[in-house]
Amino acid sequence: MSASPDSTHTALFGEESTFSNEAHPGIEPSVSSDASESDIDRCSHITSVFADPSAKAGIIDKFKTVVAWHARRTHDSLHPAKRRKVRWLFMWRCLVNDWYIQPPVLQVSSPTCETCKRTLSRPFVCLHCSFAGCWSEGHITNHLKETGHTFCTDAKSGSVFCSECEDFVFDDTMDELYLSTVVSVEEQRTKFQVAKRGREPYQPWIPTNDESTALKYIATVPCQGRRGLLNLGQTCFLNVILQSFIHNPLLRNYFLSDRHNSRLCKHSDCTCCEMDNLFTEIYSPTNTPFGPTSFLATTWKVSAEMSGYAQQDAHEFFITALNQIHGTCRGSTNISCNCIIHQTFAGQFQSDVTCEKCGTVTSTIDPMLDISLELRSKSGEAATDNTLASCLRRYTKPEKLGEREYSCSKCTKASHGAVKRLSIRTLPPVLSFQFKRFEHKTSGKAAPQKIDAPIRIPASINMAPYTTLAMNTTGKDGETGYPGPDAMYEYDLFAVINHEGQMDNGHYTNFARFQDEWYRFDDDKVTPSTLSDCLASNAYMCFYVKRHLDYKPYMKPTYLLARENDIVREQAMEREKEAARMKEVDDALMAMVGGD
Amino acid sequence: MSQSTSEIEILYVEVHRRMIENGEWDRILHLLSSKLSESGWTDDLLHRAKENSRTMDPLSFQTILQELLSHAQTSVPLSVKREITILIKQFVKEQFEK
Repeated sequence: MSASPDSTHTALFGEESTFSNEAHPGIEPSVSSDASESDIDRCSHITSVFADPSAKAGIIDKFKTVVAWHARRTHDSLHPAKRRKVRWLFMWRCLVNDWYIQPPVLQVSSPTCETCKRTLSRPFVCLHCSFAGCWSEGHITNHLKETGHTFCTDAKSGSVFCSECEDFVFDDTMDELYLSTVVSVEEQRTKFQVAKRGREPYQPWIPTNDESTALKYIATVPCQGRRGLLNLGQTCFLNVILQSFIHNPLLRNYFLSDRHNSRLCKHSDCTCCEMDNLFTEIYSPTNTPFGPTSFLATTWKVSAEMSGYAQQDAHEFFITALNQIHGTCRGSTNISCNCIIHQTFAGQFQSDVTCEKCGTVTSTIDPMLDISLELRSKSGEAATDNTLASCLRRYTKPEKLGEREYSCSKCTKASHGAVKRLSIRTLPPVLSFQFKRFEHKTSGKAAPQKIDAPIRIPASINMAPYTTLAMNTTGKDGETGYPGPDAMYEYDLFAVINHEGQMDNGHYTNFARFQDEWYRFDDDKVTPSTLSDCLASNAYMCFYVKRHLDYKPYMKPTYLLARENDIVREQAMEREKEAARMKEVDDALMAMVGGD
Repeated sequence: MSQSTSEIEILYVEVHRRMIENGEWDRILHLLSSKLSESGWTDDLLHRAKENSRTMDPLSFQTILQELLSHAQTSVPLSVKREITILIKQFVKEQFEK
């Protein structure tokens, strides 16, 4: 396998920009990842085929067609009502046994392997001819050998196999093509819920001439920053939350793009400036641990309840910090705020209460910045299968309200029972989960107990089943309906916060991921780690980032609008100043003339 | 004996074809994926593949696949296997209603 360029990570983990092809710093480079060879290690056969424009065009067209076909077909089979290509199959009798098949069902055409004639569940398609075949029986690889054709692709993943290299190869062009084709198919098949309009087709950013010139003189810096944070006296709760911010792609991109410049900011005790300074430290050339003293000091000044050297709860600090950053961020408002915190973390819950007598449903929508999950059911026992998914199911399970808890506005007099159900109406780009491990028991026990029950969390999770949209499209047999392509609901884990010990004397540590390498952070000690260590660590909090970001269609970005408004305002101010100055000059002249 | 195995072969191919064309294959696969992910099977394989390939020389897909295939097949949780088998059985049964 050729050394993988960073764009494969784009396919796996969303749009993370990278400038650096450096080998992973903490681990000895293996033979093929020598810095000088990292580009040359690409498959030479692709390079030579692509050198010929018509051959390249042929391969690319075929690749696009295959990938688009598969994406459409997957969407259509998961969403039966919207099947596009249909072909009726008539009833026929099985030649061997006179058995009748079910009455005609809508069917979608399917390729068969040209070698063994079986229907292909996972077609591999030759990129030079019309051959399609099985992978596991070796039919496609045999075809390539026999015909001398070099490349084939897996329709589902877009992986390209080179029969000369006898391995799957990575190529930037193919990776980008795969992504853009799949995104385009999905765009055509999803509509916005409220506006009922289609999505705007994705367009990659192409720098203008001015921007290209500006970029020429920029020094590139490595895209990874990793530094330990010194413990300033029971401040591990602060350090783990800061590390989760540092490794949060949206926050990182915002502050690295200089969107809140601490040198120009006029606020005092500005937590947003502290974030800017934090990122400056992390991405500076030094990588020795440093102490976030000013961040801590500002936090104390703004939130007195956080001050003092006692151990604080990391989740409380998380919420406090979010509110502080929101408050000092440019453009923050109290209603439908557009600040970086809300853009990153804000979602909405919907609570539907159905009256059991008349069936009226009352819906309430509430904003949220994170999701806190119970580890135990109402009755107090621990659940049998403790996974993130089971906690979410419990959270969104219909709950019966007692007769006294609810009275329907439509039914008169007697209040009957009602059923309440929570669901997620809007999913934020970053999902933060907290597992409620600290229970405040009121039953006379002296100290609150910590629940150490292990919870299994996945590296990726599909949030569709917990959304309002999916729940409202549930089929008759209880199956969750299809609420849109998976890409809109896939999230990838990027940080986990752990707590060891008891409530009053414990220690916080965390894991965080950069691209696909995991690291463990214990205050100032940072070590390379693995996915498996992270998942086995028993999370207290965990953070997921959406794999594909979505946008409101056909709108100018708010920061561009804000900048334009600023320019208009500045020009108006200039004119006023100029007018005032002219008036002064006139007045002075008049005074001189008058004085004669 | 060989005749009945070839009968079975023909029926298998036919049911297999219908399941794919009907879309039921994709629906069951989708469900299977989410159950395997929830049980940690997917992440376990991802972790093993990554750690194996860190020190593999020469790095090759076929080798990774070979090293993982039998473990992957045997480590599927029993409950998941059972649930999916039931769904498949149901589909096959429906196809054979007289």
